[in-house]
This record gives sequence, C-alpha cells and structure tokens, in this order.
Amino acid sequence: MRFEEELVALLPRLRRFARGLARHASDADDLCQAAIERALKSQDQWQAGTRLDSWMYRITRNLWIDERRATGRRGVHAPIDETVTQIAGDGAAEVEAGALRGDVGGAMARLPDEQREVVLLILVEGYAYREAADILDVPIGTVTSRLARGREALMHLLGEAA
Amino acid sequence: MSFDPATVAAFVDGELDDLTARRIEREAASDPALAAEIARHHALRAELAAHYAPVIEAPVPERLRALLVPGAAVDTSLAARREVKRARFGPVHWGAIAAALLLGLTLGMRPWIPAASVGEANGTIVAEGPLARALDTQLASTQPSNAAVRIGLSFKDSAGRYCRSFESRSLNGIGCRDGDGWRLERTMAGQNGADYRQASSGELVAAAAAMMEGEPLDAISEKAARDTGWTHR
Repeated sequence: MRFEEELVALLPRLRRFARGLARHASDADDLCQAAIERALKSQDQWQAGTRLDSWMYRITRNLWIDERRATGRRGVHAPIDETVTQIAGDGAAEVEAGALRGDVGGAMARLPDEQREVVLLILVEGYAYREAADILDVPIGTVTSRLARGREALMHLLGEAA
Repeated sequence: MSFDPATVAAFVDGELDDLTARRIEREAASDPALAAEIARHHALRAELAAHYAPVIEAPVPERLRALLVPGAAVDTSLAARREVKRARFGPVHWGAIAAALLLGLTLGMRPWIPAASVGEANGTIVAEGPLARALDTQLASTQPSNAAVRIGLSFKDSAGRYCRSFESRSLNGIGCRDGDGWRLERTMAGQNGADYRQASSGELVAAAAAMMEGEPLDAISEKAARDTGWTHR
C-alpha cells in the first residue's frame, strides 16, 4: 500500500494522540499537520514493513516536545503550564481527592508531560509497555514508573482512589 | 492483598504471563480488595477511552487529509469511507449509511471471498448473510485464521445486550444482539489489504471498551452465550 494511504488510515488515531498531548483541538491538529509534513519529508527514513504507527507517534511526540521547549525558552507559557508546575504529579495528591471528578481533560492537563504521554500511549492507545518504551526511547522501567505515578494522580483527581 | 500494586496494574494492562494472570483472576474471585483494585483500573481506562473517543470518531479535517490525498486523486474507497464517517455523526440518515456501506462493500469485494453483508430493518443497520452467520455461530477461540469474518471481542453492553466486534475485508464494526438479529452499532471500513488491520483494530477495541460493561467474555462464557442463542439474562 502507498505510504500516504497508510498514513490516512492512521489519522484518526494520530489525532487522538495529538489531542491528548496538546489538549486544545486546534493545537492538536496543528501538531498533526506538522507531523504529517515531517513524515512526508522523512519518508525515506521509514522502512517499509516496520510499523508506521509507532514511527508516526514518535515523530508527533518529538515535535510536541520541541514545541514545548521552544515556547518555554521564549518565555511564553501555555495556560496550563502554571497549574502544572504547582500541582503536577506527586503534588496532585495535595488537591482534594475527586476534585476533578468527570473532568478527564482537566486531570490529564495536570500531569507532567512525561507522565501524560505514557498514560496516553498505554491506557488510551493500547500500546504494550515495550512498544511505548520504544516510541519514547526510554527504558521500560522508566515507562512503568511514570505510568504508575500518572495513573495514581489521575485516579486521585478523578475520585477513583481506593 | 498478596499482589503489589504494580503487578495488579500490569495485569490490567495485559502485561503479565498467563500463569500469574490466572493466579490473580482466581484470587480476585475471593478477595474483594483485589477485585476492587482491578475494577478501579478498569474504570480509569474506560473513562479515558470515553473521553478521547469523540476525537477518533470525528471526521478528519480536510486540511490534514489534503496533505496526503491530493484533491483530484481521491480514490473512491476513501470517499466511501469518509461518507460513512460523516453520515454517522451528522443527522442520522440510516438509509444513507446503508447506501454508503453497500457502496463500500461493492468496491471492497473480492468475488472469491465471501463478504460481510448488511441490510436495513426498522431504520437500523443489521447484519445479514455471512456476517450474521459469523456473529451467530463463530467463536473467537476456535475460528480459523483465514475466516472471512473474524470475531474480536464479545461483551455485554450497559443495556445487558451481547455485543461482538468483527473485522472483515470490507467492513469492521460492532454488532449487538437485538431480538433475533444483530444490530450494527459501530461500523468502519474494513481492511482492503492487511495493512489497515492495525489501525482499525485499535479503533474497534477503543469503541468496544467504551461500550463494554464489565469484562469481555472469555472463551467459556462466549461459548455458553452462543449456545443459549445470545439471549441476555
């Protein structure tokens, strides 16, 4: 099958992943667009027969990280950044349990990037730990510990704590 | 609880070896704390799936598709697929959906392979022919690897109906038992080539997860449900 056709088939999932990363719909589609353009440009680096989805997720995620770093350097903060630095991750425990019941988007936004991307890949996109580790280019132990912390924070915020 | 939290999480994520997974299943039957812990994980997964499902089900914006499909070169199978998606989320015109599906079926059909088939009954899309037969009788655990219609997950939805996800060359979707037939609650274009399988399988699983009440049926309960004609109790 043609490279472009495979990519088209992948678009709905890729948009979901981008939405999870970027939260706002227009930012997410901008991210998708940048990822598609990068993929078309780097097409020769993709080996036919290997998984196009993992490759695309990696491109998308790396572009997102670059974008976050760039806005950070320019001193421009996305609206969620402040909240994130205040109560992200372990700090989420200071927020009242169930404070964001029903607000999955709000709870996800409170996770640090590195926990959110692991949660998205494994709990939303359904990748195995090993596959997520390959996409993110980190050891599998890093994936499992980030997943555990992200998961606990989400359960706490959404009121699913034991 | 004799399992640490990481092991329980890995169980829910499908990352454990069969032996350990079976031990957890057994123990959960008699350990309410463990069962509650597993349920809590499933609840989070279901909540996440439901939150992101609208994104995956929405039509892809033209500006993204246009990067990959130059206007004049839109091939008809893609157009048909897009039509199915659009129709599903606009005002519901079941007849139009049926037409789009049938168009997709015709385009995707290889005459030597029996295709999935659909019909319309009381304004809903229902399974017919080989698809209906597969949903009625085929078990995921025993189906041949080259089956024309492959059954994925079987589960109960919130209304207590039995539902089954299926994949075929021309059509993927989820059918739920309604009276004597199978009402197609979700439909998406099938894999006219094995390469689509990956992407659409993910969508199907996500859709099934969002509809599912409790756990998917295992091989034994799947067979039991079939043998009693998919009547819900």
